[in-house]
Amino acid sequence: MIKSEPKSILQFMASHYDLLRDLFDIQVKNDIITKESLNICLENYDKNIREQLTEYQILVEQNDDFAFNEPYFVLFEFIHQKFKPLLPEEIEHFGQAIRTLFLKIKEGINDDKNILLERIEALSNQIKKFTNAVVNNTKSLLTESKELKANNKKIDYQEKIHKARYLIENYISPLNTILDVNHSQSIYNELLNVSQFTNVKRFDYIDESIRREFEKLYHLLRQVAKDLNLQSIILTNELLPLIERIKTESQYLRGFHHYLTNGNCYKDIEPPRIFVSSRDNIYNKFVYENTKEYFEQFQNEEEIIVIEDSEQTNDWLFDKSKYKESLNQNLPIDDFFKWCESSIKEENEDFSFDNFFMVTSLLFEEDYEVFVSKDSKNISVSNENSELIMPKLTIKKQEDVSRET
Amino acid sequence: MYPEKHKEIVTYLMEGKFITIEDLSFETIKKNEDFYITFFEKSFGFELIENQDFYYLVSNETNENTSRDICIFFSILCYELDKEGKNFLEELNYSEFHIDEIIEYFKHSSWSDVIKATNQLRNDESLKRHIGTMVKRNIAVKQSNDRYSFTKAHKLFIDFAKDLIDKKG
Repeated sequence: MIKSEPKSILQFMASHYDLLRDLFDIQVKNDIITKESLNICLENYDKNIREQLTEYQILVEQNDDFAFNEPYFVLFEFIHQKFKPLLPEEIEHFGQAIRTLFLKIKEGINDDKNILLERIEALSNQIKKFTNAVVNNTKSLLTESKELKANNKKIDYQEKIHKARYLIENYISPLNTILDVNHSQSIYNELLNVSQFTNVKRFDYIDESIRREFEKLYHLLRQVAKDLNLQSIILTNELLPLIERIKTESQYLRGFHHYLTNGNCYKDIEPPRIFVSSRDNIYNKFVYENTKEYFEQFQNEEEIIVIEDSEQTNDWLFDKSKYKESLNQNLPIDDFFKWCESSIKEENEDFSFDNFFMVTSLLFEEDYEVFVSKDSKNISVSNENSELIMPKLTIKKQEDVSRET
Repeated sequence: MYPEKHKEIVTYLMEGKFITIEDLSFETIKKNEDFYITFFEKSFGFELIENQDFYYLVSNETNENTSRDICIFFSILCYELDKEGKNFLEELNYSEFHIDEIIEYFKHSSWSDVIKATNQLRNDESLKRHIGTMVKRNIAVKQSNDRYSFTKAHKLFIDFAKDLIDKKG
């Protein structure tokens, strides 16, 4: 018996909502609230309300541990819209009760009026419980499937697939069967049978109060048909495709996993064939053969011995800086070629014209300005073998020229 | 007479590119499929592979390394997208990815051993080059601001992985 006022209980729940919510989450997760976890929770919130929790029968003792009393648990599930999915067997339990009650109503249709009324009322209750169970189940399965799809907990794909399969096999497929209009044994079809029977009896039953009960049951069934149809649509349009997508993705993921594991991608598995585009090479495609052939020609060549000439030759080297210095010292020069001849003769009487031309190359240095002599006479330079006839050129330093102008 | 865009089609395919349903020339090949199958076979000895979403050429020679790199790339990318709770099939079909986003997925992937063993994926620069290779083959398309999308040709490489399981049984 609860001594306290209902209002006090609700106020207590409102005041300590956060703590109660934590306890609810613990029970959802572990099915029980251990004595230790209750104490930790009370300490965390720094509240000494353990006695009230049992006095208001919010928590009930289970050996040394605790659990939410069923009505409070249902209330929390409802206000948080967080339902634990029922196993099909649990839902089927309502179906069995509906079938049995319906059979009893049909068989005892002419029996005692009071038992018939109570059976109709019981049938209504079972139908309501059944509908709630289906609605809550669809809701929670949809939430779970969406969470699974979004992978908020970042679980590994194998665990994800395991969970998806578990949901499909144990909850979603059986729920689909329960709601399947084409399945003769489905509870949905049983409810249609009840509806047809009730529809007749609400008009033709002799007793008016029974007719009224059938009338109420009929309207309930119409509403239930709409609700279940909606659940069936959610199941067909949302839940099953969602699960189907998880399954399809899982086939791909299994493939990727297999391909990447143990270095399989580098071992036995050949990837898809793709085209090797032919390219225009910037080198001849027989370059290797040609190069090889080129080097091979030297492989068996006879050794060549070079015998150097023992006689020393005095090669003349043109010392440009020395000649340029000399030229600069003698500027301006009226006859450049003659100067070249005399300069080179100072060093070597038997000069060649090659040596001579090297000296004349000073003419092209940037420092000098060159003029053809005004008397337009040619001059001649000769050695033992030949003679060169050249114009007479006057050469000055460039800066002197610019000063003159 | 040769079909319209004939030169473009031949050049494109001979460069190792995929022609996908998103390309204008796809319809031309589709209409002249028999012609092109024979054309490539008789002219070059190449096989034109047709698929409902793309066409591509194969020859006796195959670029196994590139193909393997692409398969590994998609396997890891899909795996990471799934871990983020994304529908990777839809993402590959309809989304654009910033290059940095792709790099991040590979940096934080649990398949680091495979990534390290794959030259084309092992660092930011090689990953960028690899995506460049996919762009050249019309498997990826470069959009503006360093963003990339994938053409339908990506299906060849992900369906390949899925089929491994079917073969395995």
